[in-house]
Amino acid sequence: MNLNAAKFGFGAGLLLLSFLSTVPLHAQTAGTTLSGVITDASSKGVPNAKISIKNVATSQLTETKTDPAGHYNVQNLTAGDYELSVSAEGFSTNVAKVTISTGAEQTMNLMLGGVLSLGDLGYSPAQTQGSAQDQARLDKRSHMLKIHQRIGLIATAPIVASVITGTFAGGKRTSSTDRYLHLALGSAAGDLYFISAYYAIRAPRIPGTETRGPIRLHKALAWIHGPGMILTPILGAIAFDQKSRGEKVHGIASAHAAVAIVTASAYGASILAVSFKF
Amino acid sequence: MKTKIGMLTAFLSLGFSVFAQTDSRWVLQQSTLTYHVSHALHQVEGVSHEARGKGVCHAGQCDFLIAAAVKTFDSGDSNRDLHMLQVTRGGEFPMISVRTRLPEDAAGSATIHADLEVQFAGQTAKYNQISFQQVTQGNETRITGTIPTTISDFKIDPPSLLGIAVKNEMPVRVEMTWQKQK
Repeated sequence: MNLNAAKFGFGAGLLLLSFLSTVPLHAQTAGTTLSGVITDASSKGVPNAKISIKNVATSQLTETKTDPAGHYNVQNLTAGDYELSVSAEGFSTNVAKVTISTGAEQTMNLMLGGVLSLGDLGYSPAQTQGSAQDQARLDKRSHMLKIHQRIGLIATAPIVASVITGTFAGGKRTSSTDRYLHLALGSAAGDLYFISAYYAIRAPRIPGTETRGPIRLHKALAWIHGPGMILTPILGAIAFDQKSRGEKVHGIASAHAAVAIVTASAYGASILAVSFKF
Repeated sequence: MKTKIGMLTAFLSLGFSVFAQTDSRWVLQQSTLTYHVSHALHQVEGVSHEARGKGVCHAGQCDFLIAAAVKTFDSGDSNRDLHMLQVTRGGEFPMISVRTRLPEDAAGSATIHADLEVQFAGQTAKYNQISFQQVTQGNETRITGTIPTTISDFKIDPPSLLGIAVKNEMPVRVEMTWQKQK
């Protein structure tokens, strides 16, 4: 009797174990996979086509793209009615309805139509197909120019302040405090200016682009304020030394104020050139 | 005998006229596409004259495709145009194309209402019953109208200047001259 009870207990344990072990497996295979190939009118696979599959009942949207051979694969779809939309550059969008059943793997192949293609208009594939690299270059350019713009605008404050404090630093009754304040503001202006310039100079060039419009003036003015931003601190350093020795600013250093004002004016004009439409 | 010849002639001529109707094609001769973007400080217009287009008529229906490279739009400022190219993902999706299907007899109307499918920035947007005015002289037809596109239709992040974003509306004015070919 005890042996029978032990056998029953062992068997029941095994049954329970086998039951428990199957439960997670059922949970893992709950979704259905929909796959297929997207072709053009000549049965050639369409790469990079956008696949959008929307559950009609819940409006839940799943998106993917075809591989270079035109294949796609959408996993873990629950049973129900779906709307499959396929779009690609140069083709009409194809929309089809598909009913997904539980468990089974389903296939749906679609042809992208359009009586006319971009090729019929004389465009070559090189003209109609972009690349992630081209977009990355544009993104990097915009990102760097945004930084150039922000730092350039921030630099305006110390540039204006150093011009104003320059009238005190270079005056007859100048003090070392005035000179050091002017020096600090000038240094901050120069640092910000050259950081901003770095982002403009290092921003990637886009091949085949001709410079047109206000940006031409913006770039042309850089030939004035760029050398000016190098020359101004050199002349300023000489003037600072002369003033610190109790001398009147003389020689080449006497051009410091004029060069600084021309530089600041050109800098201001270059900002205005790209800020407002004339 | 004369009756048979007459019937044959009538049949053949009818056949030719049907053939001529089903095989007509349209070719875009000239075009001006102008997008308009509004900002608190700016009103910007970008113009392209480089669109290409064709239409193919079959069984009383004509399929049209018009396309232009996004980089051909000129706003008068190359910096702004490159920024436009970037925000509209023009590096990855360099073309803007418009497809429409019209009944062949629409060529005789002063106004046509077209359902348009616009592909731009990697997205497809549909615009129904857009009105266009058309004037036909000889075998050339001039079509004008405005497509009420918006920036959000193409999931474009609206660009901003001095912290102010541009308005969502981005209507595209269309002026095209088509030539019918048989």
